[in-house]
Amino acid sequence: MGRVWPFHGGVHPPENKLQSNQSAIVPMPVPKQLVLPLNQHIGAPAKCLIEVGTKVLKGQLIASAQGFVSANLHAPSSGIITAIEERTLPHPSALMDLCIVIDTDGQDQWVDHAGIDPLSVHKGKLLQCIRSAGITGMGGAGFPSAVKLQAKSKINTLIINAAECEPYITADDRLIREYSEQIIAGIQIIRQLLDQPACIIGIEDNKAEAIAILSQALTGIDGIAVAVIPTKYPSGGEKQLIQILTGQQVPHGGIPADLGLVCHNVGTAKAIADAVLLGQPLISRVTTVTGKAAAKAGNYQVLIGTQVSDLMAFAEVDLAATSRLVMGGPMMGFTLTDHQVSVVKSTNCILASSELELAPVADHHACIRCGQCEVVCPAELLPQQLFWFAKAEEFDKAQSHNLADCIECGACAWVCPSQIPLVQYYRFAKGRVKTLHAETQLAEHARLRFETREQRLIDEKLAKEEKRKARAVAAAAAQAAKRAANPDAEDPIAAALARVNQQKQAAATSFTAEPPEDAYKALKTAAAITRTKLKKSSKALTDALASGHEQVESLQTTVDQLTLKADAAKAALSAYETKLGLDPEHEKQLQVTAAKAGAVVRKLEKSLATAEDAAAIEAQIVIAKTAHATANQALETYQHKSTALQQQTQES
Amino acid sequence: MQSLYFAIMVLALLALVFGAILGFAAIRFKVDGDPIVDQIDNLLPQTQCGQCGHPGCRPYAEAIANGEAINHCPPGGESTIKALADLLDVEAIPLDAEHGTEAVRTIAYIREDECIGCTKCIQACPVDAILGAAKQMHTVIVDECTGCDLCVEPCPVDCIDMLPIEVTPASWHWQPPTDIIATSNHAHHAAPQGDVSHG
Ligand code: SF4
Ligand code: SF4
Ligand code: SF4
Ligand code: SF4
Repeated sequence: MGRVWPFHGGVHPPENKLQSNQSAIVPMPVPKQLVLPLNQHIGAPAKCLIEVGTKVLKGQLIASAQGFVSANLHAPSSGIITAIEERTLPHPSALMDLCIVIDTDGQDQWVDHAGIDPLSVHKGKLLQCIRSAGITGMGGAGFPSAVKLQAKSKINTLIINAAECEPYITADDRLIREYSEQIIAGIQIIRQLLDQPACIIGIEDNKAEAIAILSQALTGIDGIAVAVIPTKYPSGGEKQLIQILTGQQVPHGGIPADLGLVCHNVGTAKAIADAVLLGQPLISRVTTVTGKAAAKAGNYQVLIGTQVSDLMAFAEVDLAATSRLVMGGPMMGFTLTDHQVSVVKSTNCILASSELELAPVADHHACIRCGQCEVVCPAELLPQQLFWFAKAEEFDKAQSHNLADCIECGACAWVCPSQIPLVQYYRFAKGRVKTLHAETQLAEHARLRFETREQRLIDEKLAKEEKRKARAVAAAAAQAAKRAANPDAEDPIAAALARVNQQKQAAATSFTAEPPEDAYKALKTAAAITRTKLKKSSKALTDALASGHEQVESLQTTVDQLTLKADAAKAALSAYETKLGLDPEHEKQLQVTAAKAGAVVRKLEKSLATAEDAAAIEAQIVIAKTAHATANQALETYQHKSTALQQQTQES
Repeated sequence: MQSLYFAIMVLALLALVFGAILGFAAIRFKVDGDPIVDQIDNLLPQTQCGQCGHPGCRPYAEAIANGEAINHCPPGGESTIKALADLLDVEAIPLDAEHGTEAVRTIAYIREDECIGCTKCIQACPVDAILGAAKQMHTVIVDECTGCDLCVEPCPVDCIDMLPIEVTPASWHWQPPTDIIATSNHAHHAAPQGDVSHG
């Protein structure tokens, strides 16, 4: 057993683990419907590969990773894709996003799959296997695991996070008790991928049974040690666990790999073993359902995509007694307002708390600067300072007080005697910092584009000027040359005038008619334009009237003029239409008649299929068909006529 | 007497040498543009909408440097005014309503089947965010649009809509808790208190 170091701060909330860790993991039966959000992980959403109506088998790939940081998605059971639509996400925003909906067929039929022997394949193949299984961190954050296994720097120590420090949650505890072999197999695969680093499994001392089972399973295995750490929240935070197990601190803005460390959750190790040894992708997980309102509190093996409402029904959660339904633990989780959301890859707990367990939304008081929050902050921040800055929206000051280092553990809010929802302030501040950053970048981009455009406009103007000058010089030179070559030619000005006259005459005789199609369109556009102008001026007039502006009179005249113009444009348009024989009204009528006749035919044909008096209906159909044909002919003749007219106009 | 000439000569020489150094430094370390204008321009939202009465953000930045009030930019709103006040060490004043009010950011969308391809909106767009050609359908490159509203007015058939930007799960973030300072005497929590419990 390895040595452990202390970390700053931390709290000891009531553990409340006994409610759920006394019974074995119960597999939940396949629910009727599974809803799979395309983005269950950190990174780009997966790309949907199937269509509505497709039949899928358990374990079949239904959405593929897009880009490096992304994860595949597989069908958790066999069935039919009934929708790919927006559904509410298991997210504090309760926003909607694209989800694949599978109606299960109850067969739970596997797609062809087979495991591989990790010792007989090279690393690339092994990594590919883990990547294609769509495994993401099972501890809560949901970062694609394969990315973390591809560390560029040398990894000396692999840390397996089995601390499970958050109250109520016992999913990892039960997993270790029941699947220690698989977990160790998974750890060995990870070690193989990272060139056999030493491995430390960090586990809190409140899980005596799990520790015993794990130590038992590890006898005779070299390179993997169990480190029993004191129970203190949040020892399971990645940075805190690293500090406890190695005494090293991850630098600001750095990642554990900078120290030659990498951290994975026990659940992830189990998922990796399943993927490699059995060929099974990540399609289910262990989720704790607990709280006073859950009659059958315990751990459940749940298919990803199971609706929280189904899981609650199976665990006999009394909805009336549930004051708040929390996804995740009581310290870091978020309240679900909608029960029709899915269990996703990172859902480790559903907490159906009664009013006695989690106090209802409390009024909070002013900060009394007691400093308790500072004492417990595991990130060694100044929470009350951050709170003032976040509240005053002084985000740059918050940033310079290392807001980014806050792990949102909630320890500060838990001890705060004024019950200030501190973490929500930090989350708000972090969100604003992110948006502000994005906005600054957008602004910078816009400025560049603006400046480029200005420059372009100036360049264009200069270029035009240059060209004009060059042309003038060339023309003068040409004139001079001409005059030199032919000194007794007639006066050039007189010649030019004559040319212009000629052109004018030619133009007068050959009436250049626009093609009628274009003329028609032009008239239509003109009508639309005058209409818009009229609308705008009328609006200006109403505004002016409302604000008692002195320009009302001139605006009134403009509007009057525009009304006249708009009428004229409309009249011109309809005149043109009449001239061409294009009577839109008439054409529409003809179309309607034809369509009606067609409908009658179809209706009769339909009734023929079911009717007994076939002969009579057939006769009716013949009549209706003739009517339809006549109507169609009338329409056609009309259209012919108008085309002919248009051509005539063109020729004249 | 000789020593007097000598002293004058030395001083004159020194003056020449330092003058040369200063002259050289003035050219070598010349500051391009006006740094304060750049700093102001960096704080403006770069929407380029002209609501401040200037043809773009940079001209307004220049005007501010010359003493114009800092509260003429509606897209920037209170936060920009605050930042400008900090930079220039002046009092932050409320937004001048004469130039407009702070509104949610919008993006232009062209109703494409109604567009007649007149290119008027392209000419109006300060950041070249509209794509199109004469008599062809036009469209807005959403990622480039600053929402300045300048293309709406010139459109002869009124087919451009300014629509607010949608919140996606990726762009969503927490809002600060509604601040209730009440005097109700809740017992200090005995059970763990979720951070969101105060929502
Ligand atoms: S939520 Fe942030 S500020 Fe509060 S104790 Fe945890 S790390 Fe510190
Ligand atoms: S614990 Fe609460 S009251 Fe005490 S200093 Fe921190 S924020 Fe203020
Ligand atoms: S009002 Fe518009 S143009 Fe003027 S500074 Fe603000 S964003 Fe820029
Ligand atoms: S598309 Fe319209 S609203 Fe958007 S930046 Fe260009 S002119 Fe402004």
